[in-house]
Amino acid sequence: MILENRLSVSSRTSYYLMFAPALIMLLAVLYPFFQGVYTAFTNQKLYLESSTFIGIGNFLELFKNDEFRDSIYRTLLYTLAVISVQLPLGVTVAWLLNQNNKIQSLLRNTLVLPLLIPPVVAGLMWKTMMQPQSGILNWLLNNIGLPSFSWLSDTNTALISVVLIDTWVFTPFAALIFLAGLQSIPNDMIEAAQIDGASSSLIFRAIQLPWLFPYIILVTLFRVSDSMKSFELFYVTTRGGPLNATRTLHITAYEEAFRWANVGRAMAIVFFLWIISYFLSIFIMSKWKRKSEN
Amino acid sequence: MSFLKNTKIFSIYLSQIFFFIFFIFPIIWILIMSFKEFRDIIAYPPRFIFKPTLDNYSEILFGPGGIANFHRLPDYVKYLFNSAIISGGAVLLATVLGVPAAYALARGNIRGRMHIAFTFLSFRFAPELMVILPMFLIYTQIGLYDTYIGLILAHQLICLPLIIWIMLSFFQDIPTAIEEAARVDGASVFLTLRAVILPIAGPGIASATIIAFIFSWNNLIFGLVLAGSDTRPVTMGILQTMTFDQIKWGLMASAAMISAVPGMLIAIYLQKYITRGLTMGAVK
Repeated sequence: MILENRLSVSSRTSYYLMFAPALIMLLAVLYPFFQGVYTAFTNQKLYLESSTFIGIGNFLELFKNDEFRDSIYRTLLYTLAVISVQLPLGVTVAWLLNQNNKIQSLLRNTLVLPLLIPPVVAGLMWKTMMQPQSGILNWLLNNIGLPSFSWLSDTNTALISVVLIDTWVFTPFAALIFLAGLQSIPNDMIEAAQIDGASSSLIFRAIQLPWLFPYIILVTLFRVSDSMKSFELFYVTTRGGPLNATRTLHITAYEEAFRWANVGRAMAIVFFLWIISYFLSIFIMSKWKRKSEN
Repeated sequence: MSFLKNTKIFSIYLSQIFFFIFFIFPIIWILIMSFKEFRDIIAYPPRFIFKPTLDNYSEILFGPGGIANFHRLPDYVKYLFNSAIISGGAVLLATVLGVPAAYALARGNIRGRMHIAFTFLSFRFAPELMVILPMFLIYTQIGLYDTYIGLILAHQLICLPLIIWIMLSFFQDIPTAIEEAARVDGASVFLTLRAVILPIAGPGIASATIIAFIFSWNNLIFGLVLAGSDTRPVTMGILQTMTFDQIKWGLMASAAMISAVPGMLIAIYLQKYITRGLTMGAVK
C-alpha cells in the first residue's frame, strides 16, 4: 500500500516532467500572442520601438472605414461560398470513393495530391490556367462554345475564382473525412436495408447522410476557420486585387503591417478576425454537442 | 431493370472520371509546362505537342548557364536547403517535445489536461498573423529575425499541435495492459515509454512527423514575415520567378514541381495515414 502510493507520486512527477517542455513552448508562444493583443491597442509602427497606448482607437477608426467593413463582408462571403460548395461536393466525392469499383482507387490516389503540394504551387497553377488571353481554361470554354471568362483579373469574378481554387485544394480534405465516416457505418446496417429493398438513394438519405452529421460538423469547423484566415491562396493569386475585390481581413492586416507599417492597426484587424472566427467555431461546436446529446 | 442498372453504373464511372480529371489536370498541366520552351508556353491555342526541354530545370538548379557553365549555386537551391533545415529542425524539435507530452496527456492524470491540449489545438485555428506579427516585432529586437533558430521556433506553431494531437489519438488507441505489466514489474514511467511504448509507436510517430514536415515545408506566411535574405524558404523562392513586369512561366513551373516533390512522394507512399494527420487525430 505504502509502496504503491510512493510509486504513483513518483510516476505523477514523471508525467509532469514529460509534459513540461511542451508546456514551456506553449507559454513561449502565448507570450507573443498576448503582446499582439496589447499591440492592437497601440499605435505601434513597423520600425519604431516606442508606441503609445491608444485604447480602442484602432477599432474606432477601422469601423468608420468603409473599406474595412467591405473586407469583413468579403471574408464572410468567401467562407460561406467555400462551405456551400465544398460540403456537398465533398459528400459527393466521398460517396463516389465508397463505390466498390476500380476507378475508385485511382480517384483516391489523386485526391491527396492537392492537399500535399504547397498552396503556393496550387495558387500559381490555377493562376496560370486562368490567364485571360493564353490560359487553358478559356481555351476549353471557347471550345465548348462558351465565351471567355475574366477569372482573377475582373472585380466581379476574382473572388469566385479564388473560391474555385480553394475548392480544388480542399474538397479532397472534406471527401477523405466523409469517406472515413461512410466506412465507419456498420456493414449489417446497409445490408439489412438492401435486403428490405431500399434503393441506394434511400440508403443515402436515411442512413448514410444522418450518420455523416458529426463528420460534417468537423469539416465545417476546419473549413470555416481556415477560410476565414485564408491567406496564401490570395497572396499568390491576387494580393487583394483587382481594386480590392479579394481584399479579405487577413490580407488587409498583412498589407496594413508590411505595406503601410501600421502594426497596431494590423493587429487590431487580426484580433478582430480571430474573435469572429473564435465565436464561429464555438457556434459550430455547439451544434455537435447538441446532436450528440440527443 | 438491367438497362437502369447499367445506366447507374455508367454514370458512377463517368462522375468518378470527371473528378479524377478535375483533380489531376492542373498538376499535369504545370508538369507539362515545366518541360516547355518559352514560345511553346505562351502559344495560343495551347500546344499539346512540342519538343520537351530540360532547360527550365537546369536553369533553376544550376543557374542560367546550365550545368556546363556552372558558376555558383542559384538562389533557388539555397531556398531548398533553407527549407530542409527549417522544416527538418522544426519537426525534430516538435517530436522531442511533443511525443512525451502526448504520452503524458494520454496516460498521466494531469490536471486540466484537456484544456491544455485544446490550447495547443487552438493555434491551429487562429489566424497566423495573430502570433507571428508580434513575433516579428520581438524577433527584430532580440536578433532572431531571419535566423534558422527563429524560424524553427516559429514553426512549432505548425508542428507541435499536429504531433501532439496525432500522437495523443494514437496513444489512446494502445491498450494499457502492456504498460501495466511493465509497471508492475517495477519499470518507471520513462522506461515504460522508452522500452515498451516507443517501439510500438513507430508507425504513429512516422506518420505524425512526415505530415508535420509537409505542412511546415509547404508554409509560406511564416517565411514571408520572419525570414529575410538568409533563410528564405522554398515557397518564397517560387514566388521570385514572378518579377514586377513578367512571370517566368517555365522557371515558375519547374520550381513549383521541385517544391512539391516531398508532398507528392508522401501522397503516393503514405496515404493511409493522411486523414488522421489532416484532422489532427479527430478521424482515424
